[in-house]
Amino acid sequence: MDPYLYLDRDTPVHRLDPRAKMFLLLGAFVLAFLFPDPLYGLGVLGLVLCFGHAARSLANLRRIWFILAMIAVMTVLLWSVFGGGRTPLLWFVELEPVLYGLGTALRIDNTIIAGMIFLSTTRNEEIATGLVRLGIPYRFAFAVSTALRLVPTIIATGSTIGQAQRSRGLDLDSGGVIQRVRKRIPLLVPVFVSTIRSTSVFSMALESKGFGAAPRRTYFLQLSVRRGDVVAMAVMAVLVAGAVALRLAGYGGVEGFSR
Amino acid sequence: MREVFTMWRHTQMVVLVALTAAIYAATLIPTQFLPIIPGFTNVRPANVFPFVFGLLFGPAGAWGAAVGNLINDFFGTLGLGSIGGFVGNFFLGFLPYKMWSSFFRRGEDIEPNLASRKKLVVFLAIVVLASAVCAVWIAWWNDLLGFVPFAALAAVITVNNALAGLVLGPIFMVLLYPRIRRWGLLWTEIMEPEEVSASRLRLLGNVLMWVGGLGGLIVGLAIGLGLYEQGFAAAGFAAGGAGGLGIGLGLLPFLALIVVASFLLGGREQVEAARRAPRRVR
Repeated sequence: MDPYLYLDRDTPVHRLDPRAKMFLLLGAFVLAFLFPDPLYGLGVLGLVLCFGHAARSLANLRRIWFILAMIAVMTVLLWSVFGGGRTPLLWFVELEPVLYGLGTALRIDNTIIAGMIFLSTTRNEEIATGLVRLGIPYRFAFAVSTALRLVPTIIATGSTIGQAQRSRGLDLDSGGVIQRVRKRIPLLVPVFVSTIRSTSVFSMALESKGFGAAPRRTYFLQLSVRRGDVVAMAVMAVLVAGAVALRLAGYGGVEGFSR
Repeated sequence: MREVFTMWRHTQMVVLVALTAAIYAATLIPTQFLPIIPGFTNVRPANVFPFVFGLLFGPAGAWGAAVGNLINDFFGTLGLGSIGGFVGNFFLGFLPYKMWSSFFRRGEDIEPNLASRKKLVVFLAIVVLASAVCAVWIAWWNDLLGFVPFAALAAVITVNNALAGLVLGPIFMVLLYPRIRRWGLLWTEIMEPEEVSASRLRLLGNVLMWVGGLGGLIVGLAIGLGLYEQGFAAAGFAAGGAGGLGIGLGLLPFLALIVVASFLLGGREQVEAARRAPRRVR
């Protein structure tokens, strides 16, 4: 199974410059964050889902729906207990914290769905190159993109070792959570040790290819901000400015909620 | 803190960041579906890695923990909360090597291993403190955003982090240290003394870190659970109403203490001690 969320599709969103997509992601975070009122949160959710539909990336919702649902349920429960309000609803629960909890659940889920759309439409190399073009040091971006590439390899190696041991009769699936974790750890140690052992060889291979030899680098992946990117960023800037103005005017909050 | 930035000059340290991040993320991802607070915190045996990698790989282990946690978020939960996770996990890997030498007198053996009872106790103490510091950063950020109440998150993260480090940490240290030393991958062998900040007032730095970490956790829980209001009310100073002092402002002094302590604690003495120790055969 591919653990990555990226979906190889040809959509206008996929074709956007990664820096423009990062700007849109930041804008989506601001939009989601501004409004604790669940009705406004639903509006932001609608916007995010429309964007995800245009990016043909909502299929990935199936992979994270359980996390989204759990976050929603737990957020409402937590704020119902920890928050305060004015209108009694049920036993010790008041209406305002429940509304705030619902709104916060939408805020968190909206940011996660926006992040999912970004990762569904942007390849790791684009993220790394985009970060470098935004001024993040190359070596840091290189470490992030290398780690991203190595994760599936390590998971696959761990899984292969697990399957090999199962075929020899080792029962990895019975018992409670702690027992299962205890059974798996000894199997994973060789994966970690061999991964760390490759450090020196990896470093020598990089340096033999001129890693860090020149202060300025050239890239195979050429990025350019086109008209479509500018339009998308301008629309998001207008949306964010409008949302901030709305919030400053007093809309989108939960009246009577206290912490 | 200088070594946090100068380490990027060394290709081996850059590779160590990538590898430790990949190992951390690859171990975190399969346990995403073993929830403690569903959606927010899960069983994380992988949390042993920031402690072990932080002590053995120094700043590379700290960056690896931060990046590894971010990559874990890339597999489904990337959001605003990820910023707090990045900072919190950075400190989870940062404190082990930063605090280590402040527990030993000058001239004492400060090799990053668990070869003596004192070293084991120091390692376990650092695990508890780093867990609390990580929890304070993450829970403070999430509370500041209004996502999750501090009181609901902080204690769970502290216990979750500490359990992994206390139970698995010594085992992984015993397994990994001899190999990593033999391969010449200890951070003290890769970095040069002048690239690492010298200790200034180590004891004060040590004390401030404890006050910032555990104090922040305790005061945050007290504010979050409304205990401070009851205390003030009992003393006749306040009516005990909600929302008098927010977590966001109330914890700032403690977070500042953690940052100040990070500057006071050095690390150069560890690199110099490694230089004086018998060299390994390549």
